[in-house]
Amino acid sequence: MKAYKKEVQFTIWMTLAFILVGNVGLIFSIFPTDAMIFGFPAMYIVPILMGWFGVFILTLVAGKIGNRIDDEIDRENESLSESDEVKGV
Amino acid sequence: MEGQSWQLDNPILGLVVIALTFLLFYVVGYISNRKSSSAKDLYVGGANVGAITNGLAMAATYMSLATFLGITALILQLQVPFIMLWIQLILAIPLITIIYGTSLRRMGAFSPTHFIRDRYGVTASIIAALFMILVSIMYALGQMIGIAVTFETLLGIPYVTGLFIFGFIIVGYITIGGMAGATNNAAIQMVIIALMFILPLGAIMKAIGAEGWYFPPLLYADMVPAMLESLPTFFDYQFSPKWYFSIIPALTIGALGLPHLAMRVYTASSLKSARSAMVWFAFILGLVFSATYAMGFVGVFATATQGITISEADADKLTIILNLVYNPEWVTALVIAGAISAGLSTLSGNLLAIGALISQDIIATLKPNISQRVSLRIGFVAIFLGGIASILLAIEPPAFLVVSILWAFGLAGVTNAPLIIVGVWWKEANKFGAIAASVVGGIIYIVVSPFVFPSIVLTGHSVTDGMGLSGAMLAVPISFILLIVVSYITNRIPGLASKLTKQSDIELIERIHGWTDIKSYRYNSTIGAGITVLISAGVAIWALMPWGM
Repeated sequence: MKAYKKEVQFTIWMTLAFILVGNVGLIFSIFPTDAMIFGFPAMYIVPILMGWFGVFILTLVAGKIGNRIDDEIDRENESLSESDEVKGV
Repeated sequence: MEGQSWQLDNPILGLVVIALTFLLFYVVGYISNRKSSSAKDLYVGGANVGAITNGLAMAATYMSLATFLGITALILQLQVPFIMLWIQLILAIPLITIIYGTSLRRMGAFSPTHFIRDRYGVTASIIAALFMILVSIMYALGQMIGIAVTFETLLGIPYVTGLFIFGFIIVGYITIGGMAGATNNAAIQMVIIALMFILPLGAIMKAIGAEGWYFPPLLYADMVPAMLESLPTFFDYQFSPKWYFSIIPALTIGALGLPHLAMRVYTASSLKSARSAMVWFAFILGLVFSATYAMGFVGVFATATQGITISEADADKLTIILNLVYNPEWVTALVIAGAISAGLSTLSGNLLAIGALISQDIIATLKPNISQRVSLRIGFVAIFLGGIASILLAIEPPAFLVVSILWAFGLAGVTNAPLIIVGVWWKEANKFGAIAASVVGGIIYIVVSPFVFPSIVLTGHSVTDGMGLSGAMLAVPISFILLIVVSYITNRIPGLASKLTKQSDIELIERIHGWTDIKSYRYNSTIGAGITVLISAGVAIWALMPWGM
């Protein structure tokens, strides 16, 4: 049950995080600003930076958590087959 | 400079550079593909491709000729809104990987439709495969046109001659190379694309006087004040939040249904390798995308402040024109080779997808007993015929290039993505829901596009309708609603139970998520399905309300 819940929650939250980070332009279209960052209008450069480095960092996180959840599923499978063997005896 | 014909003074130089590039691709393709003995080798490179090669190949497959020709033209026309639209395209591979890529890799699928066949049966998979062939041909068509236009305008070779000569060379290379060749070549092509785009851009920026020429993707802030002075509207968002929201169903979800992208995830040697490939993909694609925005910015800057005039018909050639103006000819020749590489890698992805769709998803589905050898041979023939079809369609090219590619994203988002996403995560989804979603959603999307009935459109803003933004915002949620509601109802009609394969569906879903046992609580949430229906209904109603454009 634990690994399953983690897998579903990870997928939902990670998907939303990716969509958010890749669509910062949508946020700025709702909340416009005149601020400047690094010499560029914030509404221009922040979506570009998030669309590159933000997405890059999220892929690192998603890769790590995804691998860990796979291992947990494998462990639950193993413990399940072991308890089946015990029952069989 | 109005009316100037932009062409290399020395076309031989361009041809030699392109010939050498092709020779390299042929050799790599031939060496890589000597081992292609099964359909698995042909389509997913034996499912044994390393993370860096695969990540680079994913990026090259995704970066089409549009990077060199189309995007910068649309930045010239739409300015910042188009950049905002393009940024989220980087989400494609990460989202495919986390939402369904690893599951389908675990299943051993060749293509998304392979999953649809096992999950929803033959009829649904053939409908999906037919839509996917349409999507892949639209996409391949864009590349073919771009390649022929490049040869026509820059080397002086007539359009149709260039189309046939280079079309056949390219199709031959892909047919000979298969996926292993294509993957190794695509990785090389990504390096060529990155170098041939970014280094010449640095030289152009230096010529214009930009201080940050040594890192073009991000260091051009010193040009901003001059840009704001001569073109104060460049950074304006222009459109409402609704326009920016519509990008999500049309392009973010649309990319999830693109067969040639998903196939890249299946080429990974393991699930861990697929996840590492996604990291490499995000890094390299972010780099080249950012350089593309910089090129668009420099293009607008040059036309606004440097007295360069680029006619509307020449807008697609912005990157090449900037190189012709500011760089030596041999640099432009290399840029052209980069553009051709970009078209080639995407085209090979498209054609391999068409090959897999026809041989694996249609013919092998209808005639499951054909031998491995015959299946492989049909695959080669299908790849070749797909290439020929896109060459023939490109003889009379449509007026748009990138627009047709982006419209194809929406079609994939409507007819394929919901079937895969819901099919992987919800056991109740069944073939009746899938067929209803794909057929009705697909028809609605095509009807409200400006290409079939120009008077039936949602916004009247030609680029918004043409790119499928408005159509997908209506049709994608309808597709999700139909899939969930029709499945839910038909699962509760006793007379239909014998036509459904509920038990094998349940076993398939548990297996592709990595489970060895079956538990009724897994992937069975009615609340989750209900929330999806409610959100989808809200989005579809919003799409029907006035867009104010």
